[in-house]
Amino acid sequence: MVLEATMICIDNSEWMRNGDYSPSRFQAQADAVNLICGAKTQSNPENTVGVLTMAGKGVRVLVTPTSDLGKILACMHGLEIGGDMNLAAGIQVAQLALKHRQNKKQQQRIIVFAGSPVKHEKKVLEMIGRKLKKNSVALDIVNFGEEDEGKTEKLEALLAAVNNNDTSHIVHVPAGTNALSDVLISTPIFTGNGEGGSGFAAAAAAAAAGGVSGFEFGVDPNLDPELALALRVSMEEERARQEAAAKKAAEEASKQEKGGEQQASSQDATMTERASASASEAETKTNDMMDDENALLQQALAMSMDDPAINQEAKDTDMSEAASDDPELALALQLSVADSSKDSSSQSDMSKLLADQSFVSSILASLPGVDPNDPSVKDLLASMQNQSEQKNDDKKPPSEEEKK
Amino acid sequence: MACLHDHSCEDHDCSTDWSLYKHIDLSKVSALNEARPGSVKSVFKAWEERLNSSGEHLESNEGDPELLVFIPFTSDVKIKSISIVGGADGTSPTKMRAFINRDGIDFSDAQSMQAIQEWDLAENMQGVLEYQTRYSKFQSVGNITLHFPDNFGADTSKIHYIGLKGEATQLKRDVVATIVYEVMPNPSDHKTRAESGGGFSHVE
Repeated sequence: MVLEATMICIDNSEWMRNGDYSPSRFQAQADAVNLICGAKTQSNPENTVGVLTMAGKGVRVLVTPTSDLGKILACMHGLEIGGDMNLAAGIQVAQLALKHRQNKKQQQRIIVFAGSPVKHEKKVLEMIGRKLKKNSVALDIVNFGEEDEGKTEKLEALLAAVNNNDTSHIVHVPAGTNALSDVLISTPIFTGNGEGGSGFAAAAAAAAAGGVSGFEFGVDPNLDPELALALRVSMEEERARQEAAAKKAAEEASKQEKGGEQQASSQDATMTERASASASEAETKTNDMMDDENALLQQALAMSMDDPAINQEAKDTDMSEAASDDPELALALQLSVADSSKDSSSQSDMSKLLADQSFVSSILASLPGVDPNDPSVKDLLASMQNQSEQKNDDKKPPSEEEKK
Repeated sequence: MACLHDHSCEDHDCSTDWSLYKHIDLSKVSALNEARPGSVKSVFKAWEERLNSSGEHLESNEGDPELLVFIPFTSDVKIKSISIVGGADGTSPTKMRAFINRDGIDFSDAQSMQAIQEWDLAENMQGVLEYQTRYSKFQSVGNITLHFPDNFGADTSKIHYIGLKGEATQLKRDVVATIVYEVMPNPSDHKTRAESGGGFSHVE
């Protein structure tokens, strides 16, 4: 909240036609000037800001230091690009304009936008810097645009001559996707010597960060409460709609359960549908039972079953191999899922898994001391399959009764 | 420390003569071309401590011996004389120029304007020299600006103490007691007792 009179020196030379800062160097500069004026007047209502141009026919003061933001913004219109920037004269005229400020209690500050090459000698700039320091004028330099050899060095020397107790700063803005104003917002030019940032600067930074700012839906509820509320309501509606659609798919899939059960391929197909339905159901279940300890297990199951749905052959073996590496874990997962869920579909999922010949045989193959070609094992397999079919038959009538 | 006047200091307390430092508005004291911002406040202290240079002192920037000190007072004062204790080895100022009741003077102003009085200073390490003012010109001083353009040849100028001797009048300059702003002045709002007492004059 320091009381300050600021003079902004704009570079409107021919070099500003370049488009390496979007939309053009001059436009980027104008945006930055608008932001700075806003920030200064907001941080202290008695602050004044003035603007002058350094190129064109000569150094011209567009508006003397004033706290009227409208006047400052209006004078930025209709500025012509042309000529060559005269940095030394610009700074000296700015110093003169500040000397005749109305409120002598204001601190003096000059902000220079140095976009074109600096043609003055380093000694001349240092002398100007010393004179500014002697009259306790602070200087902020925005180095952008042309990357001349020696330009950075000259500007750093100027800053070193002016700098008194870290009140002056220099900012180098390279060309790129970031807008000039966005880069400047985070610099001490805006935040004012580490006072903690004015409220304007902080809000502008939040807006510039965009939807990444951490607000829900990327809209600040403070800025636009109605929009935020509308977005939230529509999100709820969409979620409810998706849940209803998932339940419908589950019903249809369980009806298909009765039909395609004999062949492994149809089993796979139903398993696919079951898998997708159960995956969505698992998702909805996980949404509903977030607090449930088995939610994570269900998610793991859904994910592991999602893979066969996507790429049957490869993923089937992958999953079975993975499960066969630790068949007890897989079975335990399925059992726990079967225990916790009341839905018949997942139980039949488990039985489906067991009924899957290839899966079971690979499990048995991994077990030590078991030879799948052993006739006793084959009998066991066949009996298991019968059992699973009976189980399904048993489950179907009760499931039908449930659905009735 | 010996005083210039020929009597022993037990008779009266010399420090009271120099007590104008109590009337200085220290928070608003400022200086231009000082190396450390705010160090100018350390040169205003009691007379007894004028040689106590253990604390900070006012020093100018490297390579530039010019100094400008702005001293506002809490009330109008009459200044009889000024004492300056400079630094050693040529850092003492050689000249002093004073401006009265001017706000916001900077170096270009100071160099171009006519000072109200100028003095040539000597090296005053013991603080016994005082420079008399033309008293008639220093009668109601609200603030004084001292400009030290040069020193005895060193790179920087150092000042350890500035003492002002005089009287404080307890008056304040241009203090407006009460202001009533009116959009439309209405004389009937400002009836004096004489008018309301029974005059014939009556303004609508």
